[in-house]
Amino acid sequence: MEAASASSSLHHAGEAAHHGPPEAHRSSRVDPQMLGMLLFIISEIMVFGAFFTAYFFIRVVDGNPWPAEGTELPKAIAGVNTAILLSSSVTLHWALEAIKRGNRPAFKAGMATTFLLGACFLFIQINEYVHVGFAPYDSAQASVFYGLTGLHGAHVALGLLLLLIVTVRAFRGHFSPQAHRGVEVPGIYWHFVDVMWVIVFSTVYLL
Amino acid sequence: MTAKLRAPGWYRSGLFLLLGIAFSWVLVGVGRLAMDYPNAWTDGEAITTVSLIAAPLFFLVGLGCFDYWFYWASGRPTRAEDHSSHGAESWKDYFRVNTDHKVIGIQYICTSFFFMFVGGLIAMLMRAELAQPGMQFVDTATFNGLFSVHAALLIFLFVIPIFAGIANYVLPLMIGAPDMAFPRLNALSFWLLPVAGVMLSASFFAPGGAFASGWTAYAPLSTEMPLGQVFFTVGVQFAGAASIATALNFLVTIITMRAPGMSFFRMPLLVWANFATSLLVVIATPFIAASQFFVLLDRALGFNFFDAFVGAGKDGSVLMYQHVFWFYSHPAVYIMMLPGFGIISEIISVKARKPIFGYRMMAFSLLAIVVLGFTVWAHHMFVSGMHAWIRVPMMITTAIIAVPTGIKIFSWLATMWRGVLRLDTPMLFALGFLTTFTLGGISGVMLAMIPFDIYVSDTYFIVAHIHYVLFGGSMLTIFAGIYYWFPKMTGRMYDERLGKIHFWATFVFFNVTFAPMHLLGLDGMPRRVADYAEQYATLNLLVTIASFMLGLSMLVFLYNMVASWRGGPRAAANPWRALTLEWQVSSPPPIFNFDAVPTVVGGPYEYGVPGAVHGIFQSPAEAKPTTAGSVATSPTRE
Repeated sequence: MEAASASSSLHHAGEAAHHGPPEAHRSSRVDPQMLGMLLFIISEIMVFGAFFTAYFFIRVVDGNPWPAEGTELPKAIAGVNTAILLSSSVTLHWALEAIKRGNRPAFKAGMATTFLLGACFLFIQINEYVHVGFAPYDSAQASVFYGLTGLHGAHVALGLLLLLIVTVRAFRGHFSPQAHRGVEVPGIYWHFVDVMWVIVFSTVYLL
Repeated sequence: MTAKLRAPGWYRSGLFLLLGIAFSWVLVGVGRLAMDYPNAWTDGEAITTVSLIAAPLFFLVGLGCFDYWFYWASGRPTRAEDHSSHGAESWKDYFRVNTDHKVIGIQYICTSFFFMFVGGLIAMLMRAELAQPGMQFVDTATFNGLFSVHAALLIFLFVIPIFAGIANYVLPLMIGAPDMAFPRLNALSFWLLPVAGVMLSASFFAPGGAFASGWTAYAPLSTEMPLGQVFFTVGVQFAGAASIATALNFLVTIITMRAPGMSFFRMPLLVWANFATSLLVVIATPFIAASQFFVLLDRALGFNFFDAFVGAGKDGSVLMYQHVFWFYSHPAVYIMMLPGFGIISEIISVKARKPIFGYRMMAFSLLAIVVLGFTVWAHHMFVSGMHAWIRVPMMITTAIIAVPTGIKIFSWLATMWRGVLRLDTPMLFALGFLTTFTLGGISGVMLAMIPFDIYVSDTYFIVAHIHYVLFGGSMLTIFAGIYYWFPKMTGRMYDERLGKIHFWATFVFFNVTFAPMHLLGLDGMPRRVADYAEQYATLNLLVTIASFMLGLSMLVFLYNMVASWRGGPRAAANPWRALTLEWQVSSPPPIFNFDAVPTVVGGPYEYGVPGAVHGIFQSPAEAKPTTAGSVATSPTRE
């Protein structure tokens, strides 16, 4: 923000070959990074939408049994896993509130807990694949099951990568009550991943 | 040499490309070994598939697209931006990762035109084959590959990205921004594009030939094609990712970086058009990504999304592919058209020296097309065997979508009404566009009618319609835009006489090429077939001759662009006496666009209105108190 006044004042003119761009006018109160993340999430919702379209056609339009005959989905384990993922959203919110107040120990603890809970979810999900008793090539229902939960798992993995970066930076003393956008923006993504899991869990396992 | 391999650039990207292939090979080998599959280390198809996904990412890392993000992610203290990757001083700067939106715009435009010429040459090879009945130059499988690659290249590597390129150059200047909102993301989205283009073109070298299932790649045809299909399946993902990232960037730029005083209803219509297009891209493009994920999963990992053979007990859904695909690909025709509408609005208003007629309706009709565009996809599927009740609603919505388009056509006509038209090359292309696009639009409404659509489905009538809207529509707007902003982009004037020759050759031979296809289609000549019955011979020979003349006219364009860029007369800052902000800076613009961000005090199209001003180069404090925005209160977050 200081650059705006610097570039317009004359005594900086001869300082370098180029003086840097003029500071862009902020025509919206929305933060650009946050808006970018929200738009990215819209497009992510549409990717899930396409996978739900596949689910809809195979289960509802074509009227196939769900899950495929002779298979069963582990609702109880997935339910516990849902609780684990949802609690990670709570700890992430706690971490964000902590850094906003300048409470660094709580921020570090919150980030580490969130990361571990997310990793735990992913581990249980992979373990479920090993023991679920059918493979993606067994039927279209199995393909949709692996497609939807796998797509979500890939998003959890990406979210975990972002959380890992935030956690590493948290332990290196980055972020402050004034500058915590680097926590907020990945945080929004993580909350999206959580909400999307609730939808995937309800449609694939419960309904 | 070691230093060259360590620094970001072409040497390192070459090294990383090899590393990427090696990585894929090891990944496939270890994976197959773990699953006890045969030929763990020698399965060429699996290695190619994984390489197509992984190697381009390695290449981009090597080129330096991710350097800053890696630096940031590793948690080291962030350095201040030094703008070292911004701007171009020699031609070499166009061949590296560059964060300047003007450089990226030109990178986009040149890359897109390169693939336009590749796709055009493929089209001429097809026309050569179709000059006479019988088989002359290529066999039927190659012909299938030719029309598939032709369509895929011209859609995903020409029309969609070149609009992104023109907007990349012009849009930040138009709204008074120093650059795009996310310059590094902008650079990355460009470099995904040559990756996609090389991949689609390289499919000809795959065993079994290029992908031959059309640009629509319907399943289960595409899940059973030879290896070349994977080049399409993966290549489209890269083009789609580039498209989404650019659209997101445009939206954030338009929303957060407008100059003080530039309210939404003072934005030039090109900005509005790209706003609408970007909304479509962000919402629709994920669907084609997903459809190609399904195909890839079916092909590579044996999933059964589309395996619907009765008795196999797999319960897949074939129609689902078409629904998902067209839910993207119908909005995609507006992605390929709306930016062109924006270009035409700029040119017609400037060249007629009149305010654009119905500015607000022009903006609202764009948004209406965005909304309606999502309600018409199944009109591509009238003969697919889908549920019959979907047909009539889709027919009605398709007819309705002609209304906002009609609003635009009539607004352009009303803008020109009693104007003093300046018939130079950009305006000629704009007028040519109005003519041919209206014809294409009318045949589009004909095709929306179910009985007619069933009658001409999969005939040359469809080929004629698509080329009237994509060549006669999008491509003429692209030429109009390129000529219009050529002085701004290069700082030189193009040759007006050659421009007019280009226009008349293109316009005449375009019509001679594609108008007879309507008749061929009504007579029942099927599209996508290398051979045809004797009775279609005369018209086909005419079409082939005209198409070669059309191809020649592109050489006039190419010569004009290259020669004028090298040695054309210097262009003034504002040769068209236009009001929009990009013309208020030098040609080409300074490296950071503006010394100080301008203030907008009026509408962008007040031509012929005495004393009308769009933007002024004063600080907002000195400007008139009527300005809507204010800079003093912008929050300081970091």
